[in-house]
Amino acid sequence: MSNLKTCTRCGLPETYETIEFDEGGVCNICRQKEFRDGKINWEARKEQLNLLIEKYRGKYEYDCIVPFSGGKDSTFTLHYLVKEYGVRPLVVQFNHGFFRDNLLKNAERTFKSLGVDVMTFTPNWKVVKRVMKEALIRKGDFCWHCHTGIFSYPMHVAIKYQVPLLIWGEPSSEYTAYYDYRDDEVEQVDETRFNRFVNLGITAEDMEGMICTDFDLDPRDLLPYTYPKMRDLKKLGCQSVCLGSYIPWDVKKNVQIIREELGWQGDEVEGIPFSKYPYEKIECYMQGMRDYIKYLKRGYSRVTQMTALDLRNGRITKQEAEQLIDEYEGKKPPSLELFLDYLEMTEDEFNDIVMKTVVPPHKPDFDSMEVGRRTWDFNRWYREKDGKPVIEEKESSRVPEMSL
Amino acid sequence: MIAILDYGFGNVKSVWNALDALGEDPYLAAEGKELDQATHLIIPGVGSYDVAMAELQARDLFEPVACYVRSGRPLLGICLGMQLLGDYGEEGKGARGLGLIPGQILSFPDSSGLDVPHAGWNTARLRSGHPVFSGLPEHSDFYFVHSYRFVCAEPEHVWGTTDYGEDFCSVVGSQNVLGVQFHPEKSQKKGLRLLENFCEWDGKC
Repeated sequence: MSNLKTCTRCGLPETYETIEFDEGGVCNICRQKEFRDGKINWEARKEQLNLLIEKYRGKYEYDCIVPFSGGKDSTFTLHYLVKEYGVRPLVVQFNHGFFRDNLLKNAERTFKSLGVDVMTFTPNWKVVKRVMKEALIRKGDFCWHCHTGIFSYPMHVAIKYQVPLLIWGEPSSEYTAYYDYRDDEVEQVDETRFNRFVNLGITAEDMEGMICTDFDLDPRDLLPYTYPKMRDLKKLGCQSVCLGSYIPWDVKKNVQIIREELGWQGDEVEGIPFSKYPYEKIECYMQGMRDYIKYLKRGYSRVTQMTALDLRNGRITKQEAEQLIDEYEGKKPPSLELFLDYLEMTEDEFNDIVMKTVVPPHKPDFDSMEVGRRTWDFNRWYREKDGKPVIEEKESSRVPEMSL
Repeated sequence: MIAILDYGFGNVKSVWNALDALGEDPYLAAEGKELDQATHLIIPGVGSYDVAMAELQARDLFEPVACYVRSGRPLLGICLGMQLLGDYGEEGKGARGLGLIPGQILSFPDSSGLDVPHAGWNTARLRSGHPVFSGLPEHSDFYFVHSYRFVCAEPEHVWGTTDYGEDFCSVVGSQNVLGVQFHPEKSQKKGLRLLENFCEWDGKC
């Protein structure tokens, strides 16, 4: 990504969403973090959280809903709420279709050791595949079903169970400027946020119109991705916020805690240096594909984002960051093969689609990509050929040991 | 229960929709006795001052509204509904108003050279301390469409001003009565917030 302008501090490039640079060449995400650390009154925020929890405690079937993927942030959030406040939560897990073995083991350990009620929802796979393809074609982002589902489905559960308080994990101000810490406001995880950057500008109603002519769609199929009516949420008195708006978010510390307290294990992820970042985005076996598309579109991928966080926190040198980025970014993930099979398209077709969504001034080079390393569980991932499941290869492997 | 005064014309449906989205169950009050059960009253309004007052009189709503206000329950006038709170409006043939807040409703002076009606988004500078402004920034944008403006007799009743060639009074208030020249029901999040605050207001200020 040598041709891109980057933040002089964290190295995020100009193709990063919501980024702006000041006169010193430092990006707004770095400036937000300075404000977060220096200006936000975290004691007062914690007091606000205390009031929020007490306002809802004991009045409903559950004290709150914790939307849960099983990654580091939602695991820490659940652990914190149960341990710090002794709440009785309903854990809501939206299964995007790509949960990994280690993630499920982590989740089981977390649920059992904390003692919580859990409901998991898995949407119709045929619909998932179709909307993945549509979102890829229109936006170069196949994760529409996951992102809209994760943020709308728990709201439906809140209404069905009449539980008004939802507590999410990391605020988006940690990594983008859609919500700026410098506004010193609590980020509401609501429909405005949903429409601002979660749903790619495609509502479920839009999606219905986009796919109904070539897909045998029952309009109810898209309800899990439809944001509930404002009236229903208002009637419920819904409050939907991030734990990280009330306590300063420290990923490394949080990971340490859930590792010690819950036996939470990190995992290899395609394209990410395991020894350095074993805790990031371990919940989805299409993660490598997401990062690959990001690399093609924007000229950077997850490693740049991870080193940016560390650079901002002074935990790594620029040289170390550059080494990691050079070594790990820009590799074709082995999951590409599965992905193309799901969507029944060729790699050339895929490249043509992605090419149309490239963010200037980046120019991707499709030809010089070498294939990255398979993760230990690659052969356990669900596979299809011509729309039919393929039995996975037998292979005994174990989760590699995690080091921090 | 939130009552929306139904006096034959005005933007009743859009106000109703906004309240519905906020989880309220408003009802339309077309007769004076229907105000008895109201906890809150909204007077909407799009139209001409003199015709609106004639309609209120024809429906015998003058005294019931005054009686409602005397009870201390909160009243919100929107746009023409705000203007009706004053003493006199010169629009059309001219007409006496409800006389709840001293002031006259006059056209914009020609000297400004600006188009009338004043239509579109504009900023209201809100005076701090009113419960219905809770959570709204001091400078909040709302949607306006009107040709006349409320000229308050008492500065203390001016709760918000807006610049349109001159600073005019865009929010009037006196005790449990509040009037907004803009349309909160058409003003996105801030408008909904204002309506939500009104629905939670006990009429004290």
